[in-house]
Amino acid sequence: MTAPPPLPESPPAAIEVRGLRVDYGNFTAVDDFSLSVPAGEVFGLVGPNGAGKTSTFRVLTTLMEPTYGEVILDGVDVLENMEAARRIIGYMPDLAPVPGDLKVWEFLDFHAAAYGLGNRAQRRQRVNECLEEVALNDQRDSWCKELSRGQTQRVVLAKTLLHRPRVLILDEPASGLDPLARRDLRTALRRLAAGGATVFVSSHILSELAEMCSSLCVMNRGRLLAAGTAEQVRQQLGNTNRTLTATLLDRESEAAAWLTAQPGVHDLRVSGSQVVFGFTGSDEDQAGLVTRLIGQGLLLRTFEEKRSSFEDILVEVAENNRRS
Amino acid sequence: MMPHSDPDTSPTPAHRHAAWNIWNNPIFRRYCQSRLRLRGMGITILLTVLVAGFLVAIAAAVRTRGDFSPVDSARGPIIPLLVVQGLILFVLGTAQVAGGMTAERDEGVIDYQRLIPMSPLAKVMGYLFGLPVREYVMFLATLPFMAWCLWQGEVSWRVWLPLYTAFFTSTLLYYLTGLVTGTVVRNRRWAFLISIGLVFALYTVIPQMSRFGLVFFKYLTTSPVFAEALPGILPKDAGAVVATGQRLLPTVKFFNLDFSETVFTLFTQGGLILTFLVSLCRKWRRDESHLLGKIWALGFFIWVQVLLLGNALPLIEPGNLFPSREFNRMMRLDPNWQPAVMEAMALSAIYGLLTLGMLHVISSMITPTVDRQIQGWRRARKLGHPRIPWLTDAGSGWWFSLAMALAGGVGWYIFTRAVVESRWFPGQVVPLQVLGYFTALLFGVGVGFQALLETRGGPVARLTAILVGVVPLMVGAVFCVIGETFYPIGVWVIGISPFSQPFYAAGSVLPISDLPDSIARAVPLAFKFWLLVFALGAGWLARDLLARRKTIAEASMQATGAEPIEGA
Repeated sequence: MTAPPPLPESPPAAIEVRGLRVDYGNFTAVDDFSLSVPAGEVFGLVGPNGAGKTSTFRVLTTLMEPTYGEVILDGVDVLENMEAARRIIGYMPDLAPVPGDLKVWEFLDFHAAAYGLGNRAQRRQRVNECLEEVALNDQRDSWCKELSRGQTQRVVLAKTLLHRPRVLILDEPASGLDPLARRDLRTALRRLAAGGATVFVSSHILSELAEMCSSLCVMNRGRLLAAGTAEQVRQQLGNTNRTLTATLLDRESEAAAWLTAQPGVHDLRVSGSQVVFGFTGSDEDQAGLVTRLIGQGLLLRTFEEKRSSFEDILVEVAENNRRS
Repeated sequence: MMPHSDPDTSPTPAHRHAAWNIWNNPIFRRYCQSRLRLRGMGITILLTVLVAGFLVAIAAAVRTRGDFSPVDSARGPIIPLLVVQGLILFVLGTAQVAGGMTAERDEGVIDYQRLIPMSPLAKVMGYLFGLPVREYVMFLATLPFMAWCLWQGEVSWRVWLPLYTAFFTSTLLYYLTGLVTGTVVRNRRWAFLISIGLVFALYTVIPQMSRFGLVFFKYLTTSPVFAEALPGILPKDAGAVVATGQRLLPTVKFFNLDFSETVFTLFTQGGLILTFLVSLCRKWRRDESHLLGKIWALGFFIWVQVLLLGNALPLIEPGNLFPSREFNRMMRLDPNWQPAVMEAMALSAIYGLLTLGMLHVISSMITPTVDRQIQGWRRARKLGHPRIPWLTDAGSGWWFSLAMALAGGVGWYIFTRAVVESRWFPGQVVPLQVLGYFTALLFGVGVGFQALLETRGGPVARLTAILVGVVPLMVGAVFCVIGETFYPIGVWVIGISPFSQPFYAAGSVLPISDLPDSIARAVPLAFKFWLLVFALGAGWLARDLLARRKTIAEASMQATGAEPIEGA
């Protein structure tokens, strides 16, 4: 009798963090942080300074042992099998330093040699590929100490890509980059993710991550506040506030009176032909409100929605936490 | 950033860099690249060659005058060249290693190196030979001149080979000291100062310790081997005089075994080199690791005790252990020289103080912080262990401190007994209860400190060390200076300090004790009282330690949601 075929299994998460906690004496930098990131995703971690991002990343990259918790990267238990984990990790620290006494190619060649990327010719080829990846080929023979902040970031990113890591952990990679370089970084990260690598990237600028990542999470004072797509994060953070502006052909006062009586409407004011009001509710609630408004026989010329920016949300969350 | 090629995310195959293959070590090669650039190297090499060349040229010029034989004039520059080589390797190299290591840590570059897939030993080797690579090249630049002097001076290989072997092991030892300092000390300037200070102390302060019975320390330097080689490298007449003088001096004895200076230097330095390598590998594997594992720490403590005893005991019978013996011999003062009783007491006290100091330092190395203990519980639960394994960093260091206190007590007792019961003090017997006093002292002061460190943490332990260890010494000294009437008060206050305890012990419990009348009553009373206080305090701290570890275990259990574990 032949054995039955194995049941199909769901692919393991590339990054699995369970109940992570990092204490520095009496100070808890990361508290009960759990996360699961599927392979091939560009996942963002956002939070204000001191949120615990760097501590989390240092645990993920085996540079620090957590007080509690478990971290599995691509099926490898980071805390139990450090050497194996280090082979699949590409880490770019915050304010990534470079040794000033080396040239760009020497710095990259040293790492290529350390990772055992073949003979001198093979290493040279790989170094060139990575330099091209970060658009820094023309700086190949420059001294590391002569690079600008943005160029330094790109050199370190090239170093991080050298050994083709399966999990890339990038701490604030976009800081110091000009808008063009940021766009290119975005493209490069997406391309890496498309190739199967999982990218975990942090920033304290939420909008930057929202553009770069397929999903993200928000962290503050060591705790995970929300995770998911940008829109899911917005909802989880409870920020369903938006400002709506209805421009009418006439009967503004009648519209204002009707709207004031509707649930979720607040801070209403009339300005010429426009009725501007705050609304709290889901997208469905908002759609119902607009349908009912038109149903009142009012002649609606335009309807405009303005939501809080991600930065506003993050500032609000941080402020609320500080107050609490 | 333009798309270049299809992203390939397959990780690189496993690759190991053999630790012994220095030439292909990426860290070594990286430093060769940065520190051997012609622009930076040129001037340095030129200066080195000029100095070495000048020394040899002077010797050659002297030869042309005909005042000295060719052999003697060629031997003339050997010692100055050795000094130059020593400065290059020992001073410049050590500073470079300690400073370079701290700089890497300071700038954060060390995180990259921590992640690269090389074994910890390969990384240590890379730094050991890479960071001071310029100093190695400077040393090599002096070698042709030295080779010429040795050849022309007809110096036997039996002389220069041991000398350079000791040179090499000493260099490794100092560089490893620099690496350890650079790895542990976070401030670049302090790391530099400490490592240079250590090397300086090795050649100035530490040799003085060998005059007080701690002979082992001089083998951490090249001095013994250099002294042994001296007759062979000096001009022939001077060499003969030195050789005659050396024949009067004792040879190296380790218990009943005879060793050459070179072999014993290699033996002593080899142990330390191995210990430093272990420490560095531990630190490279994980930054938070203790410098030494518990078994290694205990073994190291016992090894130093054995070395101290092995060197000191054979020197007692001929009287060479006593500092006044050498002074008397040099000054040709008294043909019927006898060591003073105070000398014997001081030797015993210094041995005890050193043992206590080592106990403190090594205990600090193996004591886990509260965070470390919680991490230990997390891991123990994950692996299904009923408790934190004893030998891990998270395990309590108390039992190992206790074992060291016992071993130290025995070593101190053996040393004291050998000194006091020697032929110099006929009829004296050191009773077994002295062993009890010594062990109680090491327990009360040493193990008590460890328990304090483990329960209350570093800041509290350090503050206590200052308040209890240093302040009473100062206050007591002030009382003693006021006048003889205040001596007893001064003695009682000074007795609070653990640093005074070994001296009080020697003055109180040894049968040869010969204290001045003014303090003869106060010292034994103060010693026994404070010893009782320290021993009771250490016992209370041990109980507190047990309770706190239990609390930590329970707290970590709640945090991880684990089932209570029997006996946890």
